[in-house]
Amino acid sequence: MKQQRMRFRLLTLFIIALLGVAGVYGFYSVSTYGSRWFSSAKNTRYQSARRTVNKGDIIDRKGVVLATTNKNGDRVYQSNIKSRSAVVHLIGDEEGNVANGVDSFQASYLLGFETSLSERINALLRGETRRGDDVTLTVDSALCTEITRAFATNGNTAGKSGAAVVMNYKTGEVLALVSLPVFDPANLTDKDRANPQHPFWNRALQSTLPPGSTFKIITAAAALANMADATEHLYECTGATQVMDQLIHDYGKAQHGTLNLERAFTVSCNNAFSQCALILTDNVLRATAENFGFNDNFLFRDFVVENSIYPTTGRNAVQVAWSGVGQSQVGATPLHMCMVAASIANEGVMMEPRLLAKVQSPAGVVRLRYSQKVYARVCDTQTARTLDQFMKNVVSKGTGTAARVNGLTIAGKTGSAEGAIDGKDATHAWFVGYIAQPELPYALCVLVEGGGSGGSVAAPIAARIFKYLKDNYTR
Amino acid sequence: MRQTRRASAPKAPSRRHPDRRLVWVIMLFFFSAFLLISLKGQIHWQGLALALVVPVLIYIATMWLPRFFPADKLLLAIANFLCALGVLILYSTDQGTDTTRGLQQAVYYGIGIIAMLFCILLVRYIRRWKFMIILIMGGAAILLALPLAIGTEQNGATNWINVGGTSLQPSEIVKIALLLILSYYLSERRFLPWFLFAGFSLVILMFQMDLGTALIYYATTLFLFYSATGNLPLTGLGILGSGGAAILGYQMFAHVKKRVAIWRNPWIYYETSGYQIVQMLMAIASGGLLGVGLGLGAPRVIPVYFTDCIFAVICEQFGIIFGILVLVMYVILILRGTSIATSARSSFHALLAMGCTVILGIQTFVIIGGVLKLIPLTGVTMPFVSYGGTSMVSCMGIIGLLQGVASINQDDLAYDYEISHSLQEEGQLPEA
Repeated sequence: MKQQRMRFRLLTLFIIALLGVAGVYGFYSVSTYGSRWFSSAKNTRYQSARRTVNKGDIIDRKGVVLATTNKNGDRVYQSNIKSRSAVVHLIGDEEGNVANGVDSFQASYLLGFETSLSERINALLRGETRRGDDVTLTVDSALCTEITRAFATNGNTAGKSGAAVVMNYKTGEVLALVSLPVFDPANLTDKDRANPQHPFWNRALQSTLPPGSTFKIITAAAALANMADATEHLYECTGATQVMDQLIHDYGKAQHGTLNLERAFTVSCNNAFSQCALILTDNVLRATAENFGFNDNFLFRDFVVENSIYPTTGRNAVQVAWSGVGQSQVGATPLHMCMVAASIANEGVMMEPRLLAKVQSPAGVVRLRYSQKVYARVCDTQTARTLDQFMKNVVSKGTGTAARVNGLTIAGKTGSAEGAIDGKDATHAWFVGYIAQPELPYALCVLVEGGGSGGSVAAPIAARIFKYLKDNYTR
Repeated sequence: MRQTRRASAPKAPSRRHPDRRLVWVIMLFFFSAFLLISLKGQIHWQGLALALVVPVLIYIATMWLPRFFPADKLLLAIANFLCALGVLILYSTDQGTDTTRGLQQAVYYGIGIIAMLFCILLVRYIRRWKFMIILIMGGAAILLALPLAIGTEQNGATNWINVGGTSLQPSEIVKIALLLILSYYLSERRFLPWFLFAGFSLVILMFQMDLGTALIYYATTLFLFYSATGNLPLTGLGILGSGGAAILGYQMFAHVKKRVAIWRNPWIYYETSGYQIVQMLMAIASGGLLGVGLGLGAPRVIPVYFTDCIFAVICEQFGIIFGILVLVMYVILILRGTSIATSARSSFHALLAMGCTVILGIQTFVIIGGVLKLIPLTGVTMPFVSYGGTSMVSCMGIIGLLQGVASINQDDLAYDYEISHSLQEEGQLPEA
């Protein structure tokens, strides 16, 4: 009997442990994923809450009201069609076509779900229609408009799909996040819905594309940290490197001769970097990529971002060689590539991207204040400084000279990634970079889908963004 | 004999019962909750009736019934709270529809109390189980197999029968028989009868495609076998066997594979088979920590919100913190059950009480774990709370079995006290 009692207690402990795991798991998943589940476009609940609550305002960093609710309870955007279209992917639209815009992702604030009981009762007693909280963003909407204008007025990019992200590399504040083509949230047309370019996609967050040569930042970081002779090792570029039964070419089939890592980075030599990847081995390259956030489950407070991929299984030498130059199933979003560039500028510290500057209730209670958060330490300071020099070379004398702006020290990396649009082969033009001056701590990423060469298509857009930052943010 | 002794003997020192205050708080909670819903907008007479009936039922089950025999009042209070919570949630989701599940569930609750009383009497007054258990075993086997002959299919499982206009789920009622059979033969150290019965039940349940219930039967049998014999090798073999069966089932049956795939990522199957779990997750998330409030939210978009998914509705209306507190109530229930099992004097009663505890615990884990997406969702009811007469009868019956054992424990304790008291009077024992 005594032993039996012990077994009873053991069994009880086991069952209680099971229930405990269920409880902890439930609490954990609701607090981690709750806001994502809640703001899912499939959730009909916040649609019904809108009948009883007036949605709060969305305001940009300069005080421009991006979205508000009028007397009839309708959502109203900026009066200028270009301005309201430029931020449409950030804000979202009333039909819920754009996934996870602020209007839906922050619905728990905007619809006052965070309002305390006493505030609710107060509003009830005063007989007011309840009003949700106002959300202030870190975004500069004028910069977003400027970016759409830059895309539209440049012959190489006009009409193309793409994305651009600008962030402060010291704090993680996102100043601009634009996806092209844009559409007008106030007049949704069937043309928008049928557009084969999918204007509703937020490419900055949802397009996981091969990063191409911009990935060489990570390959170089892996070499600097893991190869004893990283800076001296000489690579031979005859225009093509044979790996197994495949030839690896450069963009435009250039021949660079004998060159070291710094030179290879400046001219963006695929041969050198694929050889480098093979020396490093797949595991080392993957480990470095994972330090930079690849294969992470991104759970940023303010953004829902597709995860970036560095493939984990079944890799042969050809695939590894291609991965060294950001091809062969390597994939990243423009926001993540912007974070990669920003982390080099910030001496190896990657900040979590932030979009909310402040959340305030109509009564003036501040529910959320701006706070910054380190996302990860991606590489050591020395590696970051060397890469900083490499990236400055790219803009001063390499493939990225088109990104130069008088009076600014710019660092960057171009990319011309072989991918596809709707199943057809296309070369995506990338540029990631930053202003290497502490008073203008801004990093950016520009992507032009099917744009071709990063150096000649994406870099000029970056130059215009840098110029805007210089003109408007120099104190 | 025992009865007359107890009447004449000085009463055992009764523990003070904070339970009494707890019951009044519970009654007040439900009174005001039903009042709140029924006075919203226009007056709903149904709700007003429930505002009176439910507290009265709680009073009868937790304060009036225990006057006739000693009972574990905390256990009673919690079980009744959960039952009333079910009535409340069902009534609140009835609002704005033609359904009257709240009212029906209140009737089932009443029937459940009767079932509990019946089981208490069963345990207290049946002394000779030898023939009784054979009778129960035969009846249970026939009842369990009935749906195969005259059953109707609901939600992919053929485990219902129609009797005179109402549908019954025999596997729920047979749980009580299973517990009695297992604990009787295990305490008698007779292997074959219970093994045959458990095996037969499992095969039948598999044929009915009622996998969730099969899992509960299997786990209860295995755990009870372990607590009775302490035979680790065989228990381990049982666990391994079930693991092997799970892998085999996964490999062999497409729908099992699908279940697992839905569990791993329900969002990509949203349009079809993942709809239910996605809706539950969104409901739980909408409730947040403190809930949207009683009667609010949109619980009816969740499929089968009234049975399998009712925990999601609770979480939406009262919040995940309340949801976890409900979980804690089940934990207290289990702790009380174990305490009853460990203080039982006969092996049969100890195993019976433990079996009741185990079956409630496992069932709670299977359904709540499923709703919270910890394990794949299988269609079993949430004990006491889910809508359904048979589920209510079986759960309250199990509470009845536990209370029966508890009351016998109390009687034994009183008997001990009486003996030691009389020995003290005769000077054979020192004063305590």
